[in-house]
Amino acid sequence: MAEQKTIRLKIRRQDGPNKPFHWEEFEIAYREKSNVISCLMEIQKNPVTASGKKTTPVVWECNCLEEVCGACTMNINGQGKQACSALVDQLDQPIVLEPLTKFPLVRDLMVDRQIMFDHLKTVHAWIPIDGTYNLGSGPRMPEVKRQWAYELSKCMTCGCCMEACPQVNSRSKFIGPSAISQVRLFNTHPTGEMNKHERLAALLDEGGIADCGNSQNCVRACPKEIPLTTSLADLNRETNKFALDQWLRK
Amino acid sequence: MSTTQSPYHFLIRRVHSILGLVPIGFFLTFHLILNLTALGGAKQYDLIISTMQSFSGIFIIELVVIFIPIAVHAIYGTWVVYTGQVNILSYKYARNWFYIIQRISGLYTFVFVIIHVYLLRFGEANFSALSQFLSQPLGLLFYVLGVLFSIFHFTNGLWAFAITWGLTIGPHSQKVWLYTLGVVFVLLSAIGMSDIFAFLK
Repeated sequence: MAEQKTIRLKIRRQDGPNKPFHWEEFEIAYREKSNVISCLMEIQKNPVTASGKKTTPVVWECNCLEEVCGACTMNINGQGKQACSALVDQLDQPIVLEPLTKFPLVRDLMVDRQIMFDHLKTVHAWIPIDGTYNLGSGPRMPEVKRQWAYELSKCMTCGCCMEACPQVNSRSKFIGPSAISQVRLFNTHPTGEMNKHERLAALLDEGGIADCGNSQNCVRACPKEIPLTTSLADLNRETNKFALDQWLRK
Repeated sequence: MSTTQSPYHFLIRRVHSILGLVPIGFFLTFHLILNLTALGGAKQYDLIISTMQSFSGIFIIELVVIFIPIAVHAIYGTWVVYTGQVNILSYKYARNWFYIIQRISGLYTFVFVIIHVYLLRFGEANFSALSQFLSQPLGLLFYVLGVLFSIFHFTNGLWAFAITWGLTIGPHSQKVWLYTLGVVFVLLSAIGMSDIFAFLK
């Protein structure tokens, strides 16, 4: 540990969506317990590459710095991770930083994850409780259900599962594991269950649950350890029952 | 939004899934087992083939039970392969390998079945015709890969089938089903290799 005097980073730079990209290497002084964000902040103070060339500060996003907001998700040594909880001491050097590939690039390490929020709208990932009068309190949720549903609620829409999923790409309309798992969360809630049919119907469409390829990368990539593949399999059962039922009632 | 959706996309994916087992998977298993009769020699094998070909309406049965389901499964499957992506270099997980091999084996089996049917169903369907083809090293390799890839595609497909139909939901049941299918793969492969061995002189 004592010999490691510097931290080396290799960052993919791109000034805008349609601009060419290039790589830049940086070398900064070693500091104990650094994470990728603190390295990026260090580069921002003095944006000079390892070869001594002056450059622009690297653009990235971050908010919470405690792995709950998902904003700083980027490819770190090839895999999608949060830069705030990616500790330098646990990473191979040079630390290779790239933007997520499944979302439109804004600049350098910053991408636009809007599509994930659009997918949440597609699957109705909320519980409609607004009315013109007080609806009163809803039904109680059984404790056993609450325990596993809480795990699903940890999703921060960071995009790690989208990045790892081979079925999410420019040739496919697959909405990805996170939005599908949210259907399970809201369908489990006793009040949310009242609008179950709307969410299941959305999953039958193109890009819905049938586009899952069962590579199961998502469950390995999820930083919050959400049982995404269990949600997918459970909703396969639910959508099959729902689709058959709908058809038989036609 | 949900009221204007048509569930045809969901339906075709589910049809694609079920065709893999009924009838294609059952036919594959039957075909592999029936060909063990070749171990009894050329005479016995040719007799069975000519008896089956003499059934009236065999062509209609072959068309409806074998040809059309395989064509639908293979053509739609090729589209499914196109909509996927290879990311094994970043995510080196066993299941990600299976995802890729499932697609490679599917495409290989598509080509293999076309040539296999062209040679033996529309060509000369007898013991010596296949025996001659397998006497060439490349012909033998083509068949060994064809048999192993089609069995892999079937057994690994059954693993995904259980998820698609909501049978194995949790990781434990999926693992138990994986090991069970591993045994099925070995058994069917042993049968398939015996079939090929029967045609080697």
